[in-house]
Amino acid sequence: MGVLRVERDAPTGLAARVGGVAWRDFDVQLFVYAVLLATLGLTMAYSNTAAQLAGEASQGGTTFVRGVVWAVVALVAFAAAMAFDYTWLKAFSWPIYVMNLALLVASLALGSSDAVSARWVSIFGLQFQFSEIAKILMIVVLARYLADRDRRLDSLAAIVGACLVVIPPWVLVLLQPDLGTSLVFIAVLVGMLFMAGASLRWLGALAVATLAALPLVWTYVLHDYQKERLTSFLDPAKDPLGAGFQLLTAQKAVSSGGLLGAGLTNGAQSQSNLLPVQATDFVFAVLAEELGFIGCVVVFLLFAALLWRILTIAWRSRDPFGLMFGAGVASMILFQIVVNVGMVLGMMPITGIPLPFITHGGASLVSIAIGLGILQSIAMRQQRAEW
Amino acid sequence: MSVLQTPATHERRPARFVAFALVAVLALGGLTTRLFAMQLAAAPAPAQAPAVVLPVAEAGRQIVTEPVPSTRGLIYDRSKHLLVENVPTFTVSVRPADLPLSQQPEVIGRLAGLLDLAATTITETLDGAIGSRFDPVAIAHDVPEQTARLISEDSLTLPGVEVTVEARRDYLDGPLFTQLIGWTGPIDAASYASLKRQGYLPDDRIGKAGVESTYESALRGAYGVREVEKDGTGRTLRVLSTTTPPQAGDSLVLTIDAKEQRLAQQALDWGLKKAGVRRGAIVVMNPQTGEVLAMVSEPTYDANLFSRGITTAAFQKLLADKDLPLMNHAIGDIQPPGSTYKLVTGSGVLADRKLGLTETVLSKPYVQLGSTLFWEWNRAGWGPLDIKDGFAHSSDTFFYQLSERLGIARLAFWARQYGFGSTTGIDLPAEAGGLVPSDPWKLDTFGQTIFPGEVLQAGIGQGYDLATPLQVANAYAAMANGGTLYQPQVVREIVSPDGAVIRPFTPKVVRKIAAPSWVFTTMREAARRVVTSRHTYNLVDLPIVVAGKTGTAEFGLRDKNGVLPYHNWFAGFTPKKAWTKDNPTGDVSKPDSQLAFAVFIYNAGTLGNTATEVAKYYLQLHYGITKDYRLPQLVVRSNFYEGGR
Repeated sequence: MGVLRVERDAPTGLAARVGGVAWRDFDVQLFVYAVLLATLGLTMAYSNTAAQLAGEASQGGTTFVRGVVWAVVALVAFAAAMAFDYTWLKAFSWPIYVMNLALLVASLALGSSDAVSARWVSIFGLQFQFSEIAKILMIVVLARYLADRDRRLDSLAAIVGACLVVIPPWVLVLLQPDLGTSLVFIAVLVGMLFMAGASLRWLGALAVATLAALPLVWTYVLHDYQKERLTSFLDPAKDPLGAGFQLLTAQKAVSSGGLLGAGLTNGAQSQSNLLPVQATDFVFAVLAEELGFIGCVVVFLLFAALLWRILTIAWRSRDPFGLMFGAGVASMILFQIVVNVGMVLGMMPITGIPLPFITHGGASLVSIAIGLGILQSIAMRQQRAEW
Repeated sequence: MSVLQTPATHERRPARFVAFALVAVLALGGLTTRLFAMQLAAAPAPAQAPAVVLPVAEAGRQIVTEPVPSTRGLIYDRSKHLLVENVPTFTVSVRPADLPLSQQPEVIGRLAGLLDLAATTITETLDGAIGSRFDPVAIAHDVPEQTARLISEDSLTLPGVEVTVEARRDYLDGPLFTQLIGWTGPIDAASYASLKRQGYLPDDRIGKAGVESTYESALRGAYGVREVEKDGTGRTLRVLSTTTPPQAGDSLVLTIDAKEQRLAQQALDWGLKKAGVRRGAIVVMNPQTGEVLAMVSEPTYDANLFSRGITTAAFQKLLADKDLPLMNHAIGDIQPPGSTYKLVTGSGVLADRKLGLTETVLSKPYVQLGSTLFWEWNRAGWGPLDIKDGFAHSSDTFFYQLSERLGIARLAFWARQYGFGSTTGIDLPAEAGGLVPSDPWKLDTFGQTIFPGEVLQAGIGQGYDLATPLQVANAYAAMANGGTLYQPQVVREIVSPDGAVIRPFTPKVVRKIAAPSWVFTTMREAARRVVTSRHTYNLVDLPIVVAGKTGTAEFGLRDKNGVLPYHNWFAGFTPKKAWTKDNPTGDVSKPDSQLAFAVFIYNAGTLGNTATEVAKYYLQLHYGITKDYRLPQLVVRSNFYEGGR
């Protein structure tokens, strides 16, 4: 919170001048909401750690310890992104794009093969998912692309061009195979095009074309395990010991939460460690069981407030890049919330999409921290003309 | 920075911001509504109790969704005698996830002592388990009640250890039905992988042989699911709810008559003992339906060995036995059918009009082909013979000449018509198809066509010809019923747990053999003449009209005298009017037979023809003839083909 103190002590002081930015424009609310959400995430990590310690010995530090390490890394990434003048990002966006593709290819080549997929890359003993970082980098590149075509977005060419920009990294992510992240790419693309003012007619046509292509994707692109996960939510009771098991257990956990929840580390389902991937994709089920309806509503309100701040920054941005970038981050966060929570509540198919801040996963948190850092950078660099 | 921002250089679209915000509000609102419905509006009864009310002392309790096994279907013989029972037994298993690593050596040590097992065996079983850590691994079946009670009462010091009551299959007449009924055993990793979606569990049992295997899905039923609450040590405290009740499996009614099966085994065992060998088979069928009434394969073993968990040593012994007890010889043993195969050659040559009904062919001491002599079995011949006499004397030179007339392609055609060369489709696993040689087959296998000499061999069931006892029995059944080849069946009906017949018996016709009915009538009469001409002198005294054909089939490698070992066959049938007192002329012209059979004795080494004696003894028992017509002694002799007479 050192940053806040700077603002209070010297609103137009040395630090501001040194940095060349308006510290008073630092969006305190955005930061506070993000910190609160991340703290909730750490709390859930603590609860899950308790569950794991009761069950079995864990390796490579507990979920909680790893969570704290990642939170620190995320804070550093946030600060760095904020300090960096975002206008440079525009200049660097094509190198960033190339780097993004290189990272994805590298993770395809290096990824550990312990799971079915190659999405995890181990750095200094910490598992890292490059596709999470790829999301933010993709938003930067798309924002630059759309900003360059501001006021020309009524044309089909601009829309198709944006799609062409997204397709290479999208294919690489899908190859990993990381269905969830690839869906986030699509959501971000659509969200940004919409906010950028792209022609609704062409967007609609694109949506229809996508729907028409779905059967092809289903037949030729998706793996069997992905299809199984996608369809099991329709009737989890059909295969209660197989694919439906996660869902049934998750829903049981949610239902048993009630108004106030069982209390941290007290969930019957969660603490018996019955939920597969309960520290990651299904963490919301643990939250719902242990913190109850009230806890969940608080989480939703925090997310809503965060989205409001992001949109505000995007609105205030004087250059189109800021607007586009804000729209991208907001689309990403909203889509991930809806799909992840919807999955736990049995409204959406199972896709490995993390819940921002809450899901325990370093890359996801760092990626969002970078995104929010850039947004702060945007917020603080709007008033330069006045000085 | 190089670029100074000019105010609002770009288009801002308020409507789109509002729309985005609206989407966000609607989405979060929708999720909240769903949460409200799940957490507050839904009846909190089962969920709240364990989550909130129970005191802290109950820490570690958990709600577990677990499968409820279904009762496996039973198996009856055709007159509804029970052949298989489900007997409750105690099984001790370990759920690895509930057994803390720190306590593992101690717990395994205690279990080893209680169960009288080596600790390393338990560790190996746990390490070799194919499921997840949450799936229980059975480490001992059939645990004595005393021990089971001790273990379940001691659950506090034995975390993760569970005692469950499991049903074991008890095969009431063990060795007699083993080859037919088979047995159940633990599911292996490969089957589990493919059956997981059908609700199989990693520690499940599955039918592994016989009808237990072919009718696995009917017998198994469907497992249910229930929610139970367990304490920290894995002991079940109470059943919360049964989500899906288990469905008991369906039962099977076999076509097999337990009484006939016993008689067939008695006859076969006696013959094998007399001949001093161990390997053979007998198949008894109803030619009018394809129902198998008895099927005995020797040597056999007790299915209960497997259902109770066979020891490695005992299993190795079964595997190492050179007489192959694990094989159902009636359907899995492919051997040269010898002279029984002359049915194919005879029928073919008549149907193709290559031989007139009364036309005679000269039988000789040998047939010469190039420089090779193909000898008559008695090295003399009988002079001119028609089809019935040729069949009756089993004249090789006669049938060599018929084979030449037919040619390999037509010979193969008629063999396939009779069901040789492919599996009969009987509802038992591991059936072998045998072999009918033909030019395409030999080109494929050896890269050359059939030699003329091989055509002669093929016509008398030697050379490349290979068949199972069931195929031979089924071919003779087709002759007996006037030319309809049925698919043999061992399961008559599938019956639901409440006794309703789900699948009634329906005969399955494979084909009508493409020959006119007089061909079959002729061959039946020829088969009758085998007995009346005293070619085989064993059966003529019986007060039963029997028609059939002997077979002596060379196989394997020559001994030090240059003589080949050989198998014994006898295949035949009895007409509906089987007693000679009802049928004094021994008429077999009607296709009304109710009983066809084939007997196979591996490496018999007797001239008295063990197979014929076995058939005789079986018929004697089947028809309840009190006088004993069995020969006091089988003549043990080497091969009369080549050993000289």
